[in-house]
Amino acid sequence: MRQITYKIERFDGTRKFIQEYSLVHQPGKTILWGLIAIKDTMDPTLAFTAACRSAVCGACAVRVNGQAVLACETSLDTTLDRFGDVLTLAPLQNFSVIRDLVVDWEEKSERLAAVKTWLMPQDGFSAQTGCRQTGSDFKKINTQAGCILCGACASECSKLTANSADFLEPFTYSKVWKFVADTRDQAATERIKGILDKGLWKCLHCAECITKCPKGLAPGEDIARLRRFSLRMGHDDSSGARHALAFLQDIAETGRLNETKLSMRSIGVWGSIKKLPLALRLLRRGKLNPFHLPRKVAGHDQIQVILKAVKESEQA
Amino acid sequence: MENYDVLVIGSGGAGMRAALEAVRQKDLRVGLMTKMFPTRSATGCAQGGINGVLKNMDPDDSLEKHIFDTVKGSDYLGDQDAIEYFVRQMPDAIRELDYFGVPFSRDAEGRIAQRNFGGASSPRTCFSADVTGHVILHTLYEQCLKHGVKILTEWYLLQIVVKNGELSGVVGYDMKNGSIVPITAKAIVVATGGAGRIYWLRTTNPFTSTGDGMAACLDAGIALKDPEFIQFHPTGLADTGILMSEASRGEGGYLLNNQGERFMSRYAPEKMELATRDLVSQAIETEIKEGRGFGQGLSAYVQLDLRHLGREKILERLPQIRELAITFEQVDPIEQPIPIRPSCHYTMGGIDVVDYRTCATTVTGVYAAGEAACVSIHGANRLGGNSLADIVAFGKFAGKGAADCARQRVIAEPSWVNAAAQSWEERFSLVTCRKTGAKISDIRDRLAEIMWNNVGVFRTETEMAEASTTVDQLIQEYQTVPVPNANKVYNTTFVNYIELGSMLTVAKAVVLGALHRQESRGSHCRADFPDRDDVNFLKHTLISKRAADYNIAYRPVVVTRHQPAERKY
Repeated sequence: MRQITYKIERFDGTRKFIQEYSLVHQPGKTILWGLIAIKDTMDPTLAFTAACRSAVCGACAVRVNGQAVLACETSLDTTLDRFGDVLTLAPLQNFSVIRDLVVDWEEKSERLAAVKTWLMPQDGFSAQTGCRQTGSDFKKINTQAGCILCGACASECSKLTANSADFLEPFTYSKVWKFVADTRDQAATERIKGILDKGLWKCLHCAECITKCPKGLAPGEDIARLRRFSLRMGHDDSSGARHALAFLQDIAETGRLNETKLSMRSIGVWGSIKKLPLALRLLRRGKLNPFHLPRKVAGHDQIQVILKAVKESEQA
Repeated sequence: MENYDVLVIGSGGAGMRAALEAVRQKDLRVGLMTKMFPTRSATGCAQGGINGVLKNMDPDDSLEKHIFDTVKGSDYLGDQDAIEYFVRQMPDAIRELDYFGVPFSRDAEGRIAQRNFGGASSPRTCFSADVTGHVILHTLYEQCLKHGVKILTEWYLLQIVVKNGELSGVVGYDMKNGSIVPITAKAIVVATGGAGRIYWLRTTNPFTSTGDGMAACLDAGIALKDPEFIQFHPTGLADTGILMSEASRGEGGYLLNNQGERFMSRYAPEKMELATRDLVSQAIETEIKEGRGFGQGLSAYVQLDLRHLGREKILERLPQIRELAITFEQVDPIEQPIPIRPSCHYTMGGIDVVDYRTCATTVTGVYAAGEAACVSIHGANRLGGNSLADIVAFGKFAGKGAADCARQRVIAEPSWVNAAAQSWEERFSLVTCRKTGAKISDIRDRLAEIMWNNVGVFRTETEMAEASTTVDQLIQEYQTVPVPNANKVYNTTFVNYIELGSMLTVAKAVVLGALHRQESRGSHCRADFPDRDDVNFLKHTLISKRAADYNIAYRPVVVTRHQPAERKY
């Protein structure tokens, strides 16, 4: 009989430990099946949350061998094929752990509320009359409305892991974008202003949130949408915005980055002076050449064509 | 010790709508207590839509038609005054949801789109693709954040404390902090959802639909109304029982037997697949019983065929259905029919609400709404799209009712809730010390098995009598069940133990009601009494409990304009 092992990172409120459970393999099951089998037949003290078991409630997100997944919809066989017969299960990262695989959502809901994630309807609408919206405008918010608050994106977010003080959970940005894009809403500018200093330009573009979302959302892309929207509103004076625009300018001019100019444009003279120790380290390792003035790359005219096409598509 | 003017218990659509209504009264202390994080609730599993006469798709639809469809759908067991009140509120309630921010699918003029649904004489089911419950749940949660509703997240209801026929408060278990907390409240709204998990092995419901509030009310001296009426949804996935929305039939899906025949033509020649859920479920089970299903025994099934709808329509209107079928049944509905079988879906019965305008119960201070409650607007069979409607309409009334009540009452003497909390402390110590006894999961599975086999889609006296004996036996075993987990922090073993107690308490009421209803009506289909009997049974069952003894009584159905007639689709 084929035996498989769940190594579970446990926490009893004071003590952390790893416990191994050996299960008889059954084909066609899910990760959640294994957790339930352990709780029902081996160890009733194991704590985890699960509700709908059909990937709509978001309760059962856990990390399996370092990847956040919904336990209920994740095929055990596929996972075993990928990782072998020993699986390590852990609670989501970037959450406080309450017990075993159970994490605290209350602190996350406070962070949601801080950026006003609710509709602020246009003046022409009322509770008595409802709203109007075209089918194509509905489709602009449909994907983001599919977020089930499972926390998979937050768990795998590199930026949150590095520092959560100046960044929000990726799903929060998707929610904010949902309202900015909702034609029934009147508070787009207020919403953008509200997130300028809440990490709008801090995303590291690792795209973990996009690959981990079980419902096909792309929080990283929603962050990019919010950034573009903020630039169109004229919020181009932050270091993040200047950095992005400097990138664009370099690419447009030569097709190559000029690291020295990039720094000056993004964080200014004083900011760049403060980065001198870093610059010196880069110099010493041959990563930076202050005298390097990039010339136009071959095919630079094609870059111009691409940039023009992007601009036109944005205006359309 | 905590205290509230209004405490809402349960954070599905009904609970959150009630809390939103109560916080509008600025001077009241309102709390929303839930055993999960709010967006995990069963409301999020609702897929197809929410009914209301907006006339966007059909200008000839009318309140009158929605009323009659609901009365007829209920097999004349719904109270017609309550149904009328409910139907009249719905158009406003849906427009309000739109204003709250629910992203509805739209028609060509930008109005809320509507679709056909079972038992409806016009397309009046408003929807957001096939995730309508999900978006309503999340939008209500957004509104709760907006209005600063105090949410007691992961607090489990242990007991409703009633003294001299009036509410004192409740005992809660603060799971994250690991403490048992007495809470005084002037009024509570019980919105804890259904009890579909008494059919644990075959249900569309989340693990958490364990009838907690129903059992707590029964223990507090409030009756359960019509508990024998359990809705079996016709289209649960064959293997897991996971819901395939009624929208799949509303959008034109076919049901096929092993002859490739659209067998509904023999059961409901006019409405075909769009007959009511009770009739379609009974038809499917008949096909299987008579050998026209696929597979054998518990794994038998028929097919739901969507292929003729075409790729585009499936992707636009039924995207979640497709994903669920692929994930859990390894079948892509664009290319293959989906294996389905009825699955326990909804408890029409519930906490006896005696005033549909306020959702009051017989105990002063206790209000109930949503699937936990029985108003009754669903009678013997609920129409698809009427449950999301129920929760937003009656959630609001209950919130208002409880708030008005709280103003009239003073906070109760805290010694009663304190004493109750103390005895829960003792019970926790007692059960977590036990070393021997039957396992929680064993009792749970044996309950599910006997309920599915003996109190399922088709019922007989003999089988139900056997179920009754078994349930009594399981209740007996439950008295000595061990809870081998003494750590109070997030103790899901203890929660599962109490949930099992709730399921047993409710299941006994279901069996008792079913045994005594010697007729077939709506979802209650008896092989030994195949006909509806309006002379003897046009009445609500009321099951009450005193200590361990259950009592059964009846109350007449309110009939206003629609005299009971034969029900054909």
